[in-house]
Amino acid sequence: MIDDATATYILENRKCFEDLKQVASQLAGMLVLAAAGSKEALPDHPALLAARELFREANDAVPRAHPTERARPHHTHLLRAASAIGTALHEANRGLNVDRILTPLRAGYSELERAADALPGFEKVSYERACCGVRA
Amino acid sequence: MKAAYSLWVMEYAAVPNYPQSGLIYGMHNQGTRKLPYCYIVIKGHGQLAMVDVGYNHKSHGEVLANTYGVRGWHPPHEVLGEIGIQPTDISSIFITHAHFDHMGNIEDFPNATFYLQERELSKWVWTMSLHRRFRWLMLGIDPADILRAVDLARQGRLVSVDGDRENVLPGVDLHAAFDTHTWGSMYVTVRNDLAANSQSSWVFCGDLAYGYENLRGHDPQDPEYIPIGLATGSQFNVIMTAEEMVKSVGGDVHRVIPPHEERLKDLFPSRITKNGLRITELALADGEKSQVR
Repeated sequence: MIDDATATYILENRKCFEDLKQVASQLAGMLVLAAAGSKEALPDHPALLAARELFREANDAVPRAHPTERARPHHTHLLRAASAIGTALHEANRGLNVDRILTPLRAGYSELERAADALPGFEKVSYERACCGVRA
Repeated sequence: MKAAYSLWVMEYAAVPNYPQSGLIYGMHNQGTRKLPYCYIVIKGHGQLAMVDVGYNHKSHGEVLANTYGVRGWHPPHEVLGEIGIQPTDISSIFITHAHFDHMGNIEDFPNATFYLQERELSKWVWTMSLHRRFRWLMLGIDPADILRAVDLARQGRLVSVDGDRENVLPGVDLHAAFDTHTWGSMYVTVRNDLAANSQSSWVFCGDLAYGYENLRGHDPQDPEYIPIGLATGSQFNVIMTAEEMVKSVGGDVHRVIPPHEERLKDLFPSRITKNGLRITELALADGEKSQVR
């Protein structure tokens, strides 16, 4: 059972979680292009510009959250995710070096996965309207 | 006629009751059907290849089972083991599109080279740069799959294909189907007599068709193409691709294989394994013994 205060935390922090997940996806996408040798893997790619903007918002919002005892492990994972993804983004700003970016990015995404497992309401993948997953 | 490849459709999980409207455009309020999740094995001519790899149970299994009614997932070493193959034996994998249930299980195939349309990758990344209100365009994509794809690319095991490619293996062709089910979907043709003008072609269509209604309509006496239930691109492109696929097998729609089509069992020999999963045998290479009889 989720108490009211924790439910409020979930609702208030869903966007943060989604934004960090989006930043991780954007960075990972750029790394795929870079590692596959795509000519589109450039530092001014719109995905990278969007990642910087979105990360700023998420990174500001995560420390302002008020987790309940039940939500504290989730919040800890969210803080760690923001920190690691921030490191990955910082590296990306210096150039698309896959090795330097991938390690903190993977660590950050793992923290997001742990966060998703710590409380309901945070999905790793949106299956809701995906073609081969329909709510039973 | 000599067959170069044995071809099997391997079920690895299923949704027992999936709404028809999600599969066949316009079939609202017309009940449900079983939706098997399958991948394809292509064996012969010194090659072991697959079309798609299924989803990663570690990442998705619990949510899919508990919330979305997916049942009976089994790992590739059990599913492929039923026909005497191990995931480590697979050397080439053709990913029809980047949804979690088609490419999520990359890490179980450590020796395979993966083929994916470059457009599927680049449009993914472009989509990610859009505002959150466009997130519908990202449905079915798992960020963890993207990270796994990075590893593949670093290891030189990701081949990004730009459009059609003939003879990626002898007699095996990749065909781009841009802006259809996804940005960079593709289908795989196996010319099983290895002839340029093959009389024995098979098409593995990914989600470009979910069922035979997509390819022949509801009345086999008066066939028509009906779009799939979900397209990120256009339904026009889905229909024109259906025509292209059906033409490439000489008009025999049953040689176009939708991996989510349960009724393959009515058309081809099959058996149920001890795990309750179906193996459907489409073709046997010369000298290969049946895995379903």
